[in-house]
Amino acid sequence: MAYLKRPLGISAAVLLVLVLGLALVAPLLWQERADAVHPNEILLGPSSAHPVGTDLLGRDILARVLVATRLSVGLALLATAIGVGVGLLLGTAPTLLGRRVGRWITAVINIAVAFPTLLLALFFAVIFGVGAKGAVLAIGFATAPAFARLTQTLAATISGRDFIAAARVAGVGRMRILLRHVLPNIAEPLVVSATMAAGSALLAFASLSFLGLGVQAPGYDWGRLLGEGLAQIYIHPAGALAAGVAVIVAAMAFNLTGEAVARGLVMINPDKPRSALVGKAEPLPGGGLLHVENLRVSYGDVTPVRGVSLTVGAGEAVGIVGESGSGKSLTALAIAQLIESPGRVDADRIEFLGEDLRHGDHRKLLGTSLAMVFQDPMTSLNPTHKVGRQLAEVAREHQGATRRAAWRRAVDRLAAVRIPDAERRARQLPHEFSGGMRQRAMIGMGVMASPRLIIADEPTTALDVTVQRRVLELLADVRAAEGAALLFISHDVTVVGQVCDRVLVMYAGRVVEDLPTASLAGGALHPYTQALVSAVPSMTTDRDRPLAVIPGRPPDPHALPAGCAYAPRCPLATERCLDEDPTLTVHDDGRRVACWHAEAHLEGAAS
Amino acid sequence: MRSLTFEEVTVRFGSRRHGTVAVDRVDLAVPAGQVVGLVGESGSGKSTLARAAVGLVPLTSGRIHPHPRGGGPVQMVFQDPYSALDPRMTIGASIAEVARGRTDVAQFLEMVGLPAERAGVRPGALSGGQRQRVALARALAGRPEVIVADEITSALDVSIQGAVLNMVRDLQRRMGLTMLFISHNLAVVRYVSDIVAVMRQGKIVEYGPVSLLDEPQHEYTRELLDAVPRP
Ligand SMILES: Nc1ncnc2c1ncn2[C@@H]1O[C@H](COP(=O)(O)OP(=O)(O)O)[C@@H](O)[C@H]1O
Ligand code: SF4
Ligand SMILES: [Mg+2]
Repeated sequence: MAYLKRPLGISAAVLLVLVLGLALVAPLLWQERADAVHPNEILLGPSSAHPVGTDLLGRDILARVLVATRLSVGLALLATAIGVGVGLLLGTAPTLLGRRVGRWITAVINIAVAFPTLLLALFFAVIFGVGAKGAVLAIGFATAPAFARLTQTLAATISGRDFIAAARVAGVGRMRILLRHVLPNIAEPLVVSATMAAGSALLAFASLSFLGLGVQAPGYDWGRLLGEGLAQIYIHPAGALAAGVAVIVAAMAFNLTGEAVARGLVMINPDKPRSALVGKAEPLPGGGLLHVENLRVSYGDVTPVRGVSLTVGAGEAVGIVGESGSGKSLTALAIAQLIESPGRVDADRIEFLGEDLRHGDHRKLLGTSLAMVFQDPMTSLNPTHKVGRQLAEVAREHQGATRRAAWRRAVDRLAAVRIPDAERRARQLPHEFSGGMRQRAMIGMGVMASPRLIIADEPTTALDVTVQRRVLELLADVRAAEGAALLFISHDVTVVGQVCDRVLVMYAGRVVEDLPTASLAGGALHPYTQALVSAVPSMTTDRDRPLAVIPGRPPDPHALPAGCAYAPRCPLATERCLDEDPTLTVHDDGRRVACWHAEAHLEGAAS
Repeated sequence: MRSLTFEEVTVRFGSRRHGTVAVDRVDLAVPAGQVVGLVGESGSGKSTLARAAVGLVPLTSGRIHPHPRGGGPVQMVFQDPYSALDPRMTIGASIAEVARGRTDVAQFLEMVGLPAERAGVRPGALSGGQRQRVALARALAGRPEVIVADEITSALDVSIQGAVLNMVRDLQRRMGLTMLFISHNLAVVRYVSDIVAVMRQGKIVEYGPVSLLDEPQHEYTRELLDAVPRP
């Protein structure tokens, strides 16, 4: 519950606990006082004996408002429970009953969502008679459809994951899958939304009682007290307002708590969709496009990126390779200003198109001149919107295109990334695309406009060779046409070698080598670069021998070795490597290497 | 061990008129104890064929032997190591769910080179390569006779890819598993497979011993080979 640690979260949670506490104890403490009739104290204003005065029968209003907490909150919770229960049943039914029945249920939910609460209330009032029972059912059933829809959407997302498929392959039954795999994975957002629904139910209940459709005399909840008070509002305003304030405070306690938790969930949810930032190019000032010096990214006491320096010239294609966890993605995210708290970015310099990105707000510059293509297309596309519409939105937002022009451009870009039958495909939802097509659509989104720099993080990792080649060609086309530069991140040395002019090899949060791609095959100086190159199976690899692997694993960022981070896996490591960390040294031809024995290699290669 | 055969298998999504034919009258045999590598571009129907073999996708027509059903003799390993394991379950529980308590989990973890003590951790604490090992252990826990592996190394780093491939090949040979190995990476397919099948637009266009990659007959296979990046 770390997300409740923020000020808003804390106050909301405290408030909620107070409201619930009051609901429990208020009737025990003040019931008598609330019911005591004093014919000689009718409609008194606020006094020390009656802080908000008395009502028509001389009863203490404050006591009545406090006592009414139990009924108000209790009925709201009951209605919410009905709504959540019915919503859960309906929402999970498609998972349980299969697709065909599911489609009918979805249709029912969609109709029900559009039904106004008040109408439902009148409907149930007719059936059950006017009173608390009808109101609880009305609000419960009015809450249910929205909750069902949420449940269904969340469940559908989870059901698309491979672990559900794996469980089915293993013969695990539908009910078990629902209980063991689906519900636990969607519980958090459901609880949040149920909390917020309780807040709304409270308001709805107060309105119904106020209108005379809810709690009936002699019972009373806040809505009824509000109604009673309102009749005397000109004589006695405080008495009318007390119940209103109670309703608002309690509803806020529910809503704010829900919201604080929801915000916390988004913050810590690694699957959160990120949108591509794309836009029109701006005139290019002289010199390099991007300069980064001594970039560090840290999370608490670990620093996954430890002093990365790089430059990208206008129109240049630079690759970053390295194993996962080496800090490639974080470097890219830091440049695009997308590191979120608790992450921390420090740098001596981050300059893009002449602007210092370290201070101030650069959303406009980044939004118009930087495109980001992410690794995982599914988390970057909104599952509930048509693919074409999502691409079109980019053009509408950043280029002010008309709806039709934006749509045409979207279809054109989809066709450009070789989505067959782009016109029809544009009208489909992301899950109707194959994995490869989704990634192509994502890249299409990245190149909707004409960015100056495209940062592509593992864009072709999951694609087959032919599509991969087309995607790379597409990126090359965009570069040629617009003069855009490319920062291309991949764990695949071969692909980087094909696309880029220069490669940066990262290991444990550092750049360990910076070399022209032409030198990759035979001229790498760093032992790690050499190992990466030889670990890739090729069409001539000996099928009868095990593949070359890099022994060991990358160091734990919590416990980096004192000397060279690669030393424990390096066949050339010496005493010195274990003690001293090699610095990235610039060589004559502009190459940079961080290895104590690179010089020896150079000499060895020269002689 | 038994073989896996597809006879005239067709899978259509959507309606007869507006739908897409993902797999189009495919005949394919994976002989017992052998590895058939299936290559082809994305969207060509490879994954659909794989999912049909384990009953995740209903057949429009045709037959598959053994008959696809949950808990059957065919198990599958998926591409994305991050979506393949339930994030809320310990890896031990994930494996036990498939093993149905018949054996102890440790044995399967050790089979894929993971220490048995790790059974209590959740996938979040594992790297991509380790998760893929767990996914393989889970498939093995179902005591399969046939394994369908769909792009299992595509999301992995090259350094880890090598280790996982070495392990897969080693396990397959030791246990004599029948395997349908799907990958878009021709070099990888060439390395693990005995037989290669090339798929295009839902159809198998070429099938033969792995050596066919040296002298492809079909034009499309040649195209695929030309697209392989060379350092
Ligand atoms: N939100 C985060 N919180 C804490 N650590 C993180 C976070 N994101 C990434 N890391 C850590 O930073 C390191 C580098 O990650 P990343 O940049 O994603 O590497 P790569 O892209 O090279 O695979 C890894 O050890 C990873 O666990
Ligand atoms: S500095 Fe030493 S341990 Fe590090 S890469 Fe060079 S030779 Fe290997
Ligand atoms: Mg990454």
